[in-house]
Amino acid sequence: MEETERTRIFMERINAGEKIEANDWMPAEYRNLLIKQIHMHGISEIMGAYPEKEWVPKAPSIRRKLALNAKVQDEIGHGQMLLRLAEDLSRPYGRGREELMDDVLDGRVKFHNVFHMEAPTWADAGVIGFLVDGGAIITQAMLLDSSYAPYARMLKRIVAEESFHMQHGEAVVLALAEGSQAQRDMLQGAINRWWEPMMFFFGPVQMGKGAQRMMEYKIRTKTNEELRQKFINRYVPRITSLGMTIPDSELRQDPDTKEWHYSQPDWERYNAMVRLNSGPMSQARIAMRRQAHEEQRWVREAMNKASERQVSEHQPAI
Amino acid sequence: MQDTVSSEYPVFEVFVQKEPLGFHTNVGSLRAANPELALQMARETFFRRENAYDIWVVPQDCIFGTAHDEAHLPVSGLDKGYRLPGGYDNASHWKKFRAKAMTIEEVAEDMRS
Repeated sequence: MEETERTRIFMERINAGEKIEANDWMPAEYRNLLIKQIHMHGISEIMGAYPEKEWVPKAPSIRRKLALNAKVQDEIGHGQMLLRLAEDLSRPYGRGREELMDDVLDGRVKFHNVFHMEAPTWADAGVIGFLVDGGAIITQAMLLDSSYAPYARMLKRIVAEESFHMQHGEAVVLALAEGSQAQRDMLQGAINRWWEPMMFFFGPVQMGKGAQRMMEYKIRTKTNEELRQKFINRYVPRITSLGMTIPDSELRQDPDTKEWHYSQPDWERYNAMVRLNSGPMSQARIAMRRQAHEEQRWVREAMNKASERQVSEHQPAI
Repeated sequence: MQDTVSSEYPVFEVFVQKEPLGFHTNVGSLRAANPELALQMARETFFRRENAYDIWVVPQDCIFGTAHDEAHLPVSGLDKGYRLPGGYDNASHWKKFRAKAMTIEEVAEDMRS
């Protein structure tokens, strides 16, 4: 069958709401967009564990420490599950885990702007759960209906765990909001730091060509601006109900259209941060990733060598 | 010597049986050096909260699947009513004989009491 005919049939399936599986024929563009999206998502889960893990030894109680530790494990687990999907899609290109991981170290894959930032106080650990996980859940809930079935299936699992992250983040935020003036000030400080990066998080109003093609392929179903509006709509009332303020004097809702007007984040600064890994914590966190990936390589090699005989001699359990 | 040893772990698909009377269901995949470590990784990755009755890890290249299209999958437009309990309208006939139709669910329920 000719390529154009196969693509036409593929688009008919997409438009009929059918789901695509890993081994189905797909246009190279669909495959490449998925690889880019899922690779970045998986790497962001892993890089997202770094700002959080900084607070595990400093958490204020044993319960908070356990919860934060559980959250860090979840993020790494999500990263591993998502990288597996990216690897299955990358099989025609012969690229596996090692190369997808090397891409982070060599700056060939981006990760979310929020994970390039500092988390200087305990309130930041809470606000990351409250706003960053909250924002991520909005994006991921949209992707639950993705045309690529393995991604949508895995996200079902991931979103269920993210909902614990959201509750955990809110519990930290609420405890600070109910606390002393110093605690409330600390919370306000963290909200001030994270609001603008969250406005950037959802991407530009005018989406790039790749993001537009992802809508046409029904990999995603909502525009950047639709997602951002949903986020603002959800979080403005929650933040103000705590007696906290949002660091944006331009923020207001149109009483008729219900659209939120907001200040533009510093697109240039955050774009550079993501593209060049030039955020305040980018290099330090990539260095930790490099240490984990490269300095342990000999362990993986030794394990493979030691397992060669084991696999061939392995007796099936059933 | 360096390039003859790979640091890439092989892929295992993970199947979980949640309860004794359930079937094993695929939940995803992972990389591990060998089956024992794959089982350990499966616990770490998929079962931090959930209980499992049994877990299988299967080397991905041991799985042979159908192509995902109509020619290869058992989808049929034919009327298969003759194979299905709903294909038989016995209740109205039993009524004529002043008796009640019976379903398998009733029989199963009866066995439980």
